[in-house]
Amino acid sequence: MCRSRWLLLLVLVVGGGQLRGQELERSPSGTPSVGSGEGLARLRARADSLAHEWRRANAFADLVDSLERARVIAAKDTIRVGALTIITNPSPLPLREAAARAWPIIDNFYGSEARSLAGRPYIIVAVDPDTTVERPAPRSGIAVLWDVDVASLTFLLLTSVPIAQPDATLRNWLGGGSVRPSLGPERERASVFVQLVTAPSQATRDCFLGDTGSCRDALDIGDSPDVVLRWYRSPEQRRAVVTRSLGGYLDRGPQQQPLQSCAAGSDSSCIELLQSIPRSAVQPLAGGARETLVNLALRLGGREAYHRLIASPDAPVSTRLAAAAGMSIDSLAARWRSEILGSRPTPVSLPPRGPWIALGWVAFFTACGLRSSRWRVS
Amino acid sequence: MFGVMLYGQWKWSRLIIVLATVAGFALPIISVQGAAQSELSPLRVEELLDAVQKWGVLYPVLAAALGLLVAITTWAPDHRGRHVHALSLPLPRWRYVLLRFSSGAVLLAAPALAVLAGSLLATGTATIPPGLQGYPVALALRFALAVVVAYAVFFAVSAGTARTAGVILGLIGGVILVQIIANVANLNLDLFDRLQILVLNWPGPLAIFTGRWMLIDV
Repeated sequence: MCRSRWLLLLVLVVGGGQLRGQELERSPSGTPSVGSGEGLARLRARADSLAHEWRRANAFADLVDSLERARVIAAKDTIRVGALTIITNPSPLPLREAAARAWPIIDNFYGSEARSLAGRPYIIVAVDPDTTVERPAPRSGIAVLWDVDVASLTFLLLTSVPIAQPDATLRNWLGGGSVRPSLGPERERASVFVQLVTAPSQATRDCFLGDTGSCRDALDIGDSPDVVLRWYRSPEQRRAVVTRSLGGYLDRGPQQQPLQSCAAGSDSSCIELLQSIPRSAVQPLAGGARETLVNLALRLGGREAYHRLIASPDAPVSTRLAAAAGMSIDSLAARWRSEILGSRPTPVSLPPRGPWIALGWVAFFTACGLRSSRWRVS
Repeated sequence: MFGVMLYGQWKWSRLIIVLATVAGFALPIISVQGAAQSELSPLRVEELLDAVQKWGVLYPVLAAALGLLVAITTWAPDHRGRHVHALSLPLPRWRYVLLRFSSGAVLLAAPALAVLAGSLLATGTATIPPGLQGYPVALALRFALAVVVAYAVFFAVSAGTARTAGVILGLIGGVILVQIIANVANLNLDLFDRLQILVLNWPGPLAIFTGRWMLIDV
């Protein structure tokens, strides 16, 4: 859609003989003259004109999108399972079965908010997997090969639930992600366990050791303004984060000098750099860790938990999570910690049957040696 | 009979066994060198795991080299003597081969035990940060299995005739030829990848060598 807006804008600007505001007054050097008040007023008028055309282009693009949506919807099948609505073209795609599997999970996760899905359909364009004809990409909806199995299709439905996006605060806190049902909770918690043990941050270490306040810091739900310094408490940690994790990103432009100072041992330079970049870039735990916390809060809070989570977008994330879970944020963080610690991943060593398989191969190769006919040939 | 064979095997391969035993004992200890300090900074965890992982690459290399060298020394005297000694013994061939195999396998226990001892010592003396654990027994068991698998593979290859070697080489050549033809014909066929998956993933014969060899891990 963004592309079509730009195209429309381009057409309007290029072909816009009627845009009087485009007649730039040029100075002898070829640059627009802005020295006088009149020039400024003219430039402002042109900017307004451009903004007007931008709004028109947006309106046209929205119209194109809605027509496209209507076109897709018009000649298609509609599948409804619970509030889940899927609009698709006729195909062998097992959408009803997948929806029947996905709906209980979605309903359980979003609770009463899941009802809103009745008005927000999935649009799925089933595509023949055997055709070699290249078809234009659909403007709206998801293109799926129609030989996809039910499990993969269920996965797709769960990862692309067309529920309204949460507010920007929650999205940013999650690292740009949205609130989705967990598809492999045990695996996700195991991954967080590894982060908790290996992240070069004192906050994660102390959280692992049982300090709930540090868990709040590590999850970035504390109310401390200098949370970055709470994540990386010693000068060595700060230097390590700046030089090892962010060195490549900071080694250019005006940040090059403070980076060199930081690497040389200047803690103030390290702090300056840490505070100059977006917080999300230096969080000790990845977005997945915060998603496990949200999932836990929703699980503990019951059917209305998601509704409570998104109900007050102006409140701090910690307050919203506590409201969703129906318990204090400290209790929630403690519960989260114990769940993560209970999901210690199994070490990458041998699969349970590995030793027997290896011994089987030993027996096989020994038997090969036994059958050798060197003596007879000799 | 087994004692005589074992003694012979020891004579031929003692240098290899002794060197591998020393290496097997030293490797785990060297891999946790940095962890001997008492400092428990979060930064140490990353460094420790990094070091353990880097040194861990050497376990499968040592296991494969040890299996190869011992298998070669097991058969070398027989090949040199054109099997006259073996044929002069009042033993069926299968029993002779089993005795040969067993004598080599028994000697391989020394490096495997050295890895176990080194691993136990290393994890016992190192300061392991909270959240991490030592896996000395699992590592030593894996090393022992890898050594025996490598030994069995190379033992079978060494026991084979020139014809067997020809057949194996012919099979490999055939796979390469088919792959080349498939590439020329623009067919979507990748035999190398499939073979690699078959051989290096469980339950493939060389799967024991792949993956991370971590003495200390989460």
